[in-house]
Amino acid sequence: MKLEGEHVFNGPREDVWKMFYDPAILASAVPGMDKLDVVAENVYEGVMNVRIGPVSGKFQGKLTLTDVVEPENLTLTVDGKGAPGYGKGVGKVNFIQNPDGTTTLKYDGDMNIGGALASVGQRMIDSVAKSMIRSAFETLDKALEARLAAKKTGTEVNFTPPTQAEFATDVAKDMVGGFTKVPELRLILYILPVVTILVILALVLGK
Amino acid sequence: MTQLVKINVTVNGVPYEREVEPRLLLSDFIRHDLKLTGTHVGCEHGLCGACTILFDGQSVRSCIMFAVMADGHKIETVESLGTPEHLHPLQEAFMEKHALQCGFCTPGFLMTLVDYLGDNKNPTDEEIREAIDGNYCRCTGYENIVEAVKLAAKKMAAHS
Amino acid sequence: MAERVFHKSILRNEDPQILAGKAQYLDDIELPGMLYAAFKRSDYAHARLKSIDVSEAKALPGVIGVYTAEDFGDLVKPGPLQVPPPTAIKGATYSSRTLMPIAKDKVRYSGEPVAVVIAESRYIAEDACDYIYPDFEPLDAVIDLEKALQPGATLVHEDLPSNEAAHVVQERGNYAEAAAKADVVIKKKIYVDRVAAAALENRGIVINWDEKAQMMTIWCGTQSPITLRNATASRMGLFENQVRVITPFTGGGFGPKINTSMPDDVLLTELAVRLNRPIKWYEDRRENFLATTSERDQVHYAEIALTKDGKILGFKDVFYHNSGAYDPYMMTVPLNTQTHTVSNYNIPNFYTEITMVFTNEMVVTPVRGAGRPQGVFVMERMIDAAARELKMDVAEIRRVNLIQPDAYPVSTGIIGQDFVEGVLDSGDYPTALAKVMSMIDYKKFREEIQPKARAEGKHLGIGICTFTEGTGVGPYEGAKITVGGNGKVSVATGVATQGQAHYTSFAQIAAEQLGVEVKDVKVITGDTGAFAWGAGTFASRGATVAGTAIHLAAVKVKDKALKLASKILETPESELELVGGYVQVADIPGKKISLGELASMANPMRGTFPPGAEPGLEAVAYYGPPYGATGAGCMAMILDVDAETMKPKIERLVIVHDCGIPINPMVVEGQVHGGIQMGIGNAFFEKVFYDETGQLLTASFMDYLFPQATDMPPKIEMGHIETPSPLNPLGIKGVGEAGAIPTPAAFTQALEDALYDTGVEIMESNLSPSKVYSYVMKAKGA
Repeated sequence: MKLEGEHVFNGPREDVWKMFYDPAILASAVPGMDKLDVVAENVYEGVMNVRIGPVSGKFQGKLTLTDVVEPENLTLTVDGKGAPGYGKGVGKVNFIQNPDGTTTLKYDGDMNIGGALASVGQRMIDSVAKSMIRSAFETLDKALEARLAAKKTGTEVNFTPPTQAEFATDVAKDMVGGFTKVPELRLILYILPVVTILVILALVLGK
Repeated sequence: MTQLVKINVTVNGVPYEREVEPRLLLSDFIRHDLKLTGTHVGCEHGLCGACTILFDGQSVRSCIMFAVMADGHKIETVESLGTPEHLHPLQEAFMEKHALQCGFCTPGFLMTLVDYLGDNKNPTDEEIREAIDGNYCRCTGYENIVEAVKLAAKKMAAHS
Repeated sequence: MAERVFHKSILRNEDPQILAGKAQYLDDIELPGMLYAAFKRSDYAHARLKSIDVSEAKALPGVIGVYTAEDFGDLVKPGPLQVPPPTAIKGATYSSRTLMPIAKDKVRYSGEPVAVVIAESRYIAEDACDYIYPDFEPLDAVIDLEKALQPGATLVHEDLPSNEAAHVVQERGNYAEAAAKADVVIKKKIYVDRVAAAALENRGIVINWDEKAQMMTIWCGTQSPITLRNATASRMGLFENQVRVITPFTGGGFGPKINTSMPDDVLLTELAVRLNRPIKWYEDRRENFLATTSERDQVHYAEIALTKDGKILGFKDVFYHNSGAYDPYMMTVPLNTQTHTVSNYNIPNFYTEITMVFTNEMVVTPVRGAGRPQGVFVMERMIDAAARELKMDVAEIRRVNLIQPDAYPVSTGIIGQDFVEGVLDSGDYPTALAKVMSMIDYKKFREEIQPKARAEGKHLGIGICTFTEGTGVGPYEGAKITVGGNGKVSVATGVATQGQAHYTSFAQIAAEQLGVEVKDVKVITGDTGAFAWGAGTFASRGATVAGTAIHLAAVKVKDKALKLASKILETPESELELVGGYVQVADIPGKKISLGELASMANPMRGTFPPGAEPGLEAVAYYGPPYGATGAGCMAMILDVDAETMKPKIERLVIVHDCGIPINPMVVEGQVHGGIQMGIGNAFFEKVFYDETGQLLTASFMDYLFPQATDMPPKIEMGHIETPSPLNPLGIKGVGEAGAIPTPAAFTQALEDALYDTGVEIMESNLSPSKVYSYVMKAKGA
């Protein structure tokens, strides 16, 4: 599966870049994320608990950043696996400073998925992926805004990450066309883990 | 083990009080808790229609509902129609038109159709095909089922 | 004379029980103390299994045990071959790599089991699978059949020099010489893709080990109960009579349920003994797509050599057959393709070459049609290409090449799945073609209907094609018939039933001889406790082979009854007849004795018993045909294609069919209907799709498009021809797969004809609107 696109952040490139290097920020955008640890330079590991109806279990993701040219571009490799399957992707991310002070982030990646994600979820994965990426960017927009405000005033960062419910509502809004057409309970239950892995991906690709 | 939830359900006219896990599928509740195994499960994702039952008189797929959703409701399964000795006119029509082979999908067809024929006394071939489009059958090619529905409509008109 | 019940549409004995929801299917079986199994399956198509952590799963409440390869010791080895290798064919080479019950060091298809969980409920067992953590090292997946054979390709089985699983060449005449003499030689590449049997009931098994009786009972919707029993007994060191396999009502088979020594039966029989508790496993739909066998993908390079007036001089077909990750069923499917490629045409020179290839996909074993639809698809598409080249009518080019009715028996020179040379025993192919053409009014369609439709901008096309169906192959089946003291008749046979009306058609065969009512014959199929010998339900052979054995046993019982009645009634046997449950003197009303009384007298409790006599009104008989009986037919189809959306509508579908003497014409028609539905699915809707990494992307009914009622033609118009098979006393041939065989070929031909203005040529089955659209775009040069 090909994932490509771009997003404009309302802030200078250096700040956007720094935000992506803060595991706490990344973790906050992922529902059910237990932790996101820096295990080595440019290597992150995340663990999520997913337990929804018949689909339950841990989902582990490993993110590796290579070819890092601060603050311009980097290559990301994501390797996630858990009960609902696995995902493996490589993406190139470019941060472009715009003249108006904003930053355009461009991403271009390839991803393979396997297990139930592929065999049951593949038909929705494209639209879920897009939706997830947008949702994550929206969260990160807010995080960036809070960071920039704090920087300006010299105060603490005031940012409350969205709750899992808010997050799910967001995705559901995007997915509503697809959901109502599919009278399938288990699939919906599968989608939530799908969503989770895609969040990891969105974040990774969004860096 | 999740906490059990107490439910009261009337199935085929018999009231049941049971404690169930919230995640227990209605189809599994009917089949394994109540031992009414006439309702079949073919896909577990709401497409094949083998698990169709009547829920407050409406045909629904019991594999995509939870047992707890049936609390306070009335359910009819294929066992409510007729017995081997005294078949329902719809069942008779299925037999007379050879509208079943392996029979696994049949209870779902019957429950879809008792609901449908209740509202449509004299359907055309096209209407019947639309009505059964959500029920899968791998054996019969559907043609004899369409014939059986037409015969059943006649029989049911004569009975009423 | 008794009323005839053979060759008659009689309503089914089994229906009231099924209709009332009282028939017991596999998942309906519950035993006290029962445990439930679930399999942890590989997400990867090809990977090394480095380790597996089951500790968290084991600790879950309600989990009895979690088992991996290391817990099964010697059991973890390749299972037995289900079908012998093709040693009967000169020059055949093969490598048998049969299924492993559980992956040890390596997984070879996505869905291969790596652990099995036993728990107090199915819900808990499935939960626990999510807490099992296998550590895989992914390997490249072998998916493309031709790339798989290139030097340096990743190997599915690393102990083999290549991914070639088998190679067979068969030839009659000399194709090269024929091609040299031909006016026209046409070459095409043709694809047939993979489909699932998709029986409405999934696979499953229930096992009970009675420790005190030292007796194992297995309930399983298998098509081959005797094989399952024998394999289980020998694996477990038991006598065959310590294992009883019972097939409950079974929700469709269509091929894959023939397989035994699958992970489920091997591992769960062992665990049922080890845990000394009954175990049940019932597949879910996703597992059924992933881990139940499927069929059909082949790539063909075909050549047809003809004279300019359309006479076929020779045919060459070099093809690659996808075996999947293992080959427990050996070469049945591609051998069927070979024998059905030339089918009912008179083609003196025929060269056919199979290369069977291992891939990282699910194992291939027969699915309704079993190689036959591919052979017919290839031949029929090539004849269409020839008709186009020679500007001949598609029906005429077929007519001039058909085998004539005076030619039987016709030796084909090609050894088939039963390892004997294929012989066409009987048939009348020209009449079938003529009948189809008249039923569909071919002339009128070509001369009036189609030109008018085209003038109106409609895309109306016709397809017409012929086929054979090799059925009723050996080795043998048997039956035991017993008349009870209650006057009713019990028939037991080794084949199993998956909805084919055996409870009625077998009863008709027995009732015909014994003069009882069909409803008074109780048929037991697939209970090894009732009948312990046989091969199974496959290759459209149940009615032909077991049916004949039942007939022979019934004749024996009838003779016994007459002999005994003759003594009691003091009347010569020749004056007695069996009518209405009695043996009676033909001309003297009231001088009779009931079969029930005779049965009791046939088991004397006191007195003398003559030497050589056998007790009871009971007999066993066996039947094994020298070779299979060949059914045949012809199909025509008219399609109306929306040239924008490429959505086809089947306006008319006509089939003329010959399965010899039908036991129950109503049942035969039902079988043909079902086969056609599967054929329509195979032609246009259904496709098991693996991506390049070996991930199955069609593991639910949302993605695997099952033909629904509105996808079918408004009516299947059916004509019958009855050419009795000389191979058995009833003159019957099989019919189970007939409908599935010609349908994709007829459909594709009609589609091309409908899209005549695009010049499109479609050498592929398993189409879809988008696929057809891409073909049309290619034809238009876009």
